[in-house]
Amino acid sequence: MLARPPSHSPALGPGCAGPPLAEASSVSIQYPAQPTAQVPTCGAASFLVDHNAVNAPGRDPSQHTQMPYVTGSSVLALTFKDGVMLASDTLGSYGSTKRYKSFERIRKVNDRTVLGASGELSDFQYIMNLLDELTTDDFCEDDGGMLSPREIWSYLCRVLYNRRNKQDPLWNSLVIGGIEHGKPFLGTVGMIGTHYTDDHIATGFGNMLARPLFREKHSPDMSEADAEALIHEALKVCYYRDKQSINKFQLAKITEAGVSVSEPFALPTRWDYKHFENPSANAVGTW
Amino acid sequence: MSGIGTGYDLSVSTFSPDGRVFQTDYAQKAVDIGGTVIGLRCNDGVVLGCEKTVVSKMLEEGSNKRTFAVDRHAGLAIAGLSADGRQVVNRAKSEASNYLSFYGDKIPGHLLSERIASFVHVFNLYWYARPFGTSVMLATMDRAGPQLYVIDPSGTAYRYFGAAVGKGRQGARTTIERLKLEQLSCADGVKEIAKILHQVHEEEKPFELELSWICEASGNEFRRVPADVVAEADRLAKAALDESDMDDD
Amino acid sequence: MTIIVPSGTGNVYAGSGTIQHPSWSPYDENGGTCVAVSGNDYCVVASSNRLSTGFSILTRDESKIIKMSHKCVIATANCQADRKTLQKTLQTRHIMYMHNHGKPMSVAAMAQLVSNTLYYKRFFPYYTYNLVCGLDEEGKGAVYTYDPVGSYERTGYSCEGTGKDLIQPVLDNQLKASSPLVLPAENWMTALPMDDAVDLVKDAFVSAGERDIYTGDVVELLIITKDGVRTEHLDLKKD
Repeated sequence: MLARPPSHSPALGPGCAGPPLAEASSVSIQYPAQPTAQVPTCGAASFLVDHNAVNAPGRDPSQHTQMPYVTGSSVLALTFKDGVMLASDTLGSYGSTKRYKSFERIRKVNDRTVLGASGELSDFQYIMNLLDELTTDDFCEDDGGMLSPREIWSYLCRVLYNRRNKQDPLWNSLVIGGIEHGKPFLGTVGMIGTHYTDDHIATGFGNMLARPLFREKHSPDMSEADAEALIHEALKVCYYRDKQSINKFQLAKITEAGVSVSEPFALPTRWDYKHFENPSANAVGTW
Repeated sequence: MSGIGTGYDLSVSTFSPDGRVFQTDYAQKAVDIGGTVIGLRCNDGVVLGCEKTVVSKMLEEGSNKRTFAVDRHAGLAIAGLSADGRQVVNRAKSEASNYLSFYGDKIPGHLLSERIASFVHVFNLYWYARPFGTSVMLATMDRAGPQLYVIDPSGTAYRYFGAAVGKGRQGARTTIERLKLEQLSCADGVKEIAKILHQVHEEEKPFELELSWICEASGNEFRRVPADVVAEADRLAKAALDESDMDDD
Repeated sequence: MTIIVPSGTGNVYAGSGTIQHPSWSPYDENGGTCVAVSGNDYCVVASSNRLSTGFSILTRDESKIIKMSHKCVIATANCQADRKTLQKTLQTRHIMYMHNHGKPMSVAAMAQLVSNTLYYKRFFPYYTYNLVCGLDEEGKGAVYTYDPVGSYERTGYSCEGTGKDLIQPVLDNQLKASSPLVLPAENWMTALPMDDAVDLVKDAFVSAGERDIYTGDVVELLIITKDGVRTEHLDLKKD
């Protein structure tokens, strides 16, 4: 029988192999941590640019998008008693650079639909152009009809899925919120075409940071005020923990009365929590 | 119509000895016998109005649309054969949308009119084509302000202060020429158009007013004039007509 | 079978180690388990409603079974985007079939259609694991099981998806009558009464939910008999 390697981590207990977690290993000394972009398959991963990969020698110039450039972080969304709420910050990151600080990542599509996007922001602008074209078609039709949120969601699902079939994906996680037959509609679609509807949705880091909060506190019949308080709390948590976020948010509400996208606002924050001052004291394995 | 029987009116690819393209003339004729369409460029926007004869009692109100938005800032009124007109509308829509996706800006009115004119003109060039039996009025609002264009079946495009085509054009034009358009607002323009259309309408058959405008009141977008505004203009026009009838008597 | 997909595992160049760079894969592993058990006059089909990616749960209520007719359903595990496309395609094809023939497809016909549809994308496959289930022309339970590129066979019971490794051996143990190699061929159809089959499927899911992180939340069971399709739900742990 092979000897079991000794544990390097008192936190993990005896018998667990692996590099020591609490100190830098030789691997990380030789190759300092690289920012990595991950794939927004449909919301769970975060977004970042790897400059080394962008500038890698010998990269074929005629390739399709192999990585995002300017990216947006989480979009959070939930339903409430009489509508849907979406929120995100207004940052467009270029790698770790805060490149665009007033980028509106939540946009109105028509009088009952709003679209929020994380991931590649140029792709988002392209998608908005597609939707604006459809909305103008509805305007020209002049019969008062317009695409419903579900129709827009379905359309985007096909657009993103078809682009991934061409090996040329639109690098986004999209959140579509609106009112459909008097009921709230909330759906999402990722760059691969993975899509679903739910009572609450979060893309990027939000899926790890905000959704546990949503799962605990959200109910579909909550009031608008409660929903707003919850989404504020979730935004704040994302801001505390997500490096790629800023304290400048936009909140969109869609109710029977129509669509509103707020002016950018900031949330009050505190940085003097004990656990913030010495974060590793209570979490072995972090640094 | 001197072309009949001469053989010069069978195709647009043959001129007549005195330099006419009869098919184009006939297309123009198709417009001239259709319902009157009026456009006014007022000081704050453009109003387009159509006289739509109600051909049957069974016709639903609002059917046979004659004014169409082709983008948010531009719209057409079609005179003559409405089926031909819709082809032009479709082309105008795609020109507007292509321009927007290529240049990221709304298509300027003069360019749109030029492109519609080129499209219409092509049908005057080939033996297998038939010119459109329609004249279209184009109302736009861009950086140059409100503009009114008329494109006729030959592909000629002119910019106007005020224009009228169709059956009642003669009478309508004389009335329009007397209007002080630079002092006229769209709200008044609607009333003037209603008045003129009632004035030039001859037959006993009833007609429907179709009015669209682009101005401050429509959010600078090409939209139908609201029903209550049309009704009010209609009422005033009828009253004015009754009054002048009494003067005549 | 295993499908080799382009993966984002890095890019080596001089003066550096392997650098993780943001490549992407057109496929996503969304998990889920599908089980079908058929008997002489029934067919039980079940799948878990959890949709995952990596270590994240995307949603807890996403049905993986599509009902094509009152005699035929299709359960599909893995890549959700491909599943939706496949199921949509099959549904339109089935509706066209019904317009043309004035009757729903038989399970055998549907089984062949699914195979053809999968094989059509042989060189950029739908990354899905399918079960076509229902009652055949004789009213007997039928389960067809597939690989992602369309190879298929009719079986008496089957399991696909992330819980396959946990559930399939149990089904084999409980349901397998005799080796298909025994000659003359013996009836491989399960002789289990329907209620026992339903219980077996439920037990299988409860067990899989205990060990497979991609199986959980709720199980949707479709019980197909000559009277139609009945749906049941069984709650699993949400962890």
